[in-house]
Amino acid sequence: MFPADLTYTPGHEWVRVDGDTATVGITDYAQEQLGDIVFVSLPQVGDSVEAGSVIGELESTKSVSDLFAPIAGEVLVRNEALEANPELVNSDPYGEGWLVKMRVHDDDATAGLMDAQAYEASLTQ
Amino acid sequence: MVLLRSPLHDRHLALGAKLAEFGGWEMPLEYAGGGVLAEHKAVREGVGVFDVSHLGKAVVRGPGAVDFVNGCFTADLGRIGPGQAQYTMCCDADGGVVDDLIAYVRSGDDVFLMPNAANTADVVSRLAAAAPAGIEVVDQHRDFAVLAVQGPQSGQVLDRLGVAADAGYMSFATQQIEGQALTVCRTGYTGERGYELVVAAGAVLAVWDAVIEAGGPVSPRACGLGARDTLRTEMGYPLHGNDLSTEISPVMARAGWAVGWAKPAFWGKEALEAQRAAGEVRLSRGLLAGGRGIPRPGMEVQDAGGTVIGSVTSGTFSPTLRKGIALALLDPDVALDAEVFVDVRGRQEAFTVVKPPFVDPSTR
Repeated sequence: MFPADLTYTPGHEWVRVDGDTATVGITDYAQEQLGDIVFVSLPQVGDSVEAGSVIGELESTKSVSDLFAPIAGEVLVRNEALEANPELVNSDPYGEGWLVKMRVHDDDATAGLMDAQAYEASLTQ
Repeated sequence: MVLLRSPLHDRHLALGAKLAEFGGWEMPLEYAGGGVLAEHKAVREGVGVFDVSHLGKAVVRGPGAVDFVNGCFTADLGRIGPGQAQYTMCCDADGGVVDDLIAYVRSGDDVFLMPNAANTADVVSRLAAAAPAGIEVVDQHRDFAVLAVQGPQSGQVLDRLGVAADAGYMSFATQQIEGQALTVCRTGYTGERGYELVVAAGAVLAVWDAVIEAGGPVSPRACGLGARDTLRTEMGYPLHGNDLSTEISPVMARAGWAVGWAKPAFWGKEALEAQRAAGEVRLSRGLLAGGRGIPRPGMEVQDAGGTVIGSVTSGTFSPTLRKGIALALLDPDVALDAEVFVDVRGRQEAFTVVKPPFVDPSTR
């Protein structure tokens, strides 16, 4: 149900690490819970963020949710397509609906995160 | 609190509805495969069907029922006749709004009311306490279900079901669908052409199925109360509890058009006349976003100098305009077209003061 090549936070973000770059998004479960996303606010390129800090907002027709940094790092790229098409987060949360790419400094950055199986299990608790 | 459920609850679950609490009822917020944006679009461009069975139902009957109701609620029932409905308000003695509701005049001795879910018991008890001998007020909240078929193609859906769809706006008549008697009203809360079907609770399953399975190019999409809220906000229609309340009078909400000022009496008349004459209260206006900010109820409105000049009562993302829109109570000297700022979680977002509706209505 959840892609096996990603790691997950209890706050429903996913992280895909490729070398020293991590791509971050929210899970299919999270987008389903939020409903139609109509506005995405993301951190600035160059921002250094701490794991767990608020780095943006996801606003749906009904409510607004904070976006938390799943790991520490420096923001390299924002998904600028979300400015015009925030619904990509709903329609393709693991693909075109990614949020930011970050440079990670720690080889073990995702050590505290969950694999797909653990994340799925956490949803049914 | 145990939430009440619509007789269509199982149908909603089968359609993958996300449920939420509305006025003590557990009702569909949006449906799987739909969502607020798709459901909103269906109503603006095609046709949607909402289960609004949580809405209250009550009847006032007995000799002179219309005259009795007319002496209680704000609007002038003398302006309509049997078979017509009217938007009106139930105020308290201070002019605060206990509820806004629709009154359906069936005859001079029989008025059907559709209050908001959370306020029905209050409206019924106020009427019952004031009713003279011979007039009875009966709460029928659970006796009927209500479906709202809304959108430019709503008339075609009714045609297909063999129901006359040519009644004038705010008119109603008894008809049949699938052999079930129901009241078909040309009313709604979306700004589109539409109908509200009032059906005995025990008969609504067959009617819902017939409407949903109307088939062909005019099959309605099931729509939740999330879309109903974005649709009504685009029209500037007030929601009781947000834009009208015991603290927000018809004068403040600019709903004076629904007040029969010339009537000899109605609840709250003296207080409302005094408030209107004094001209000191905050007044409702629309706010249209210049940028990407989405206003939400309770957010402060400020002028360019940072002085607080009002607050948002309803705010959302307009799916039609793809911008933030709001209804807000503003100091009476704030001009139309003025630039104001809404504090959106610490960001100062610019908005223009406008006169709703935000989207042209097509109710007629």
